[in-house]
Amino acid sequence: MDTDSRKKALQYFFDKVVGPMGFKFTPDVELKDFLLEQEVMLEAKHSIPFCPCQPIRHDRGRDMQIVCPCIPFHREHFDAIKRCWCGLFVHKDVTDPNSLPQLPPKDVGLE
Amino acid sequence: MSDKFIRAISTDEIAPGGMKAVQLDGREIVICNSGGTYYAIERRCGHMNAPLELGTLDGKIVTCAMHCAQFDVTTGQALSGPVPGDLGNETLPPRVAAFLQQVGMLMKYVRTESIRTYETKVEAGWVHVAP
Repeated sequence: MDTDSRKKALQYFFDKVVGPMGFKFTPDVELKDFLLEQEVMLEAKHSIPFCPCQPIRHDRGRDMQIVCPCIPFHREHFDAIKRCWCGLFVHKDVTDPNSLPQLPPKDVGLE
Repeated sequence: MSDKFIRAISTDEIAPGGMKAVQLDGREIVICNSGGTYYAIERRCGHMNAPLELGTLDGKIVTCAMHCAQFDVTTGQALSGPVPGDLGNETLPPRVAAFLQQVGMLMKYVRTESIRTYETKVEAGWVHVAP
């Protein structure tokens, strides 16, 4: 299977899901391309496009919470930092993703 | 119109996002309506031969109902292989577990191949396909 075609397919499906949740793809095109490529590689290995920045624990319940786009499972944290953990998605109003601080949950009052 | 095209179905037989299987010139073909544009693809999934019209069409991507393999209807290119089923944490009877293990071993060798596409054209409210 062709990596570029699969990247486009993932982008097509993800776009439909994250839009109604108030998110969009990062405007950083290079980062988006890199992260989608990692997901295609993870999908080729595990049949599931896991988040590229999270460890797979082989605990299905927990692993399902890092299937991209994992926004619904970590919504409060992502809304607080205006991005998802890996940075593939940002809030729709974000124009400069590099300016967003990467704060752990406890620093935004979630733990 | 070129002789190679065969009148297949009326355009109003498939709603946008829908698919219909037809047999033309001895070939099994699925006609897809992607937002008013018609594409024709081989009926059998490139993974395990399931009929693709039973799956779903989202934009230009068809997803097989059997194991969720995906294909681009414009090129026939395989976009994704099968998705593993969720057996949860249920403990299976030993004979079933052994059977599934054997199936899993065989499935490792099953590849998802791209599927064939066919030229289409719409004339006078009919979709024509060149099989």
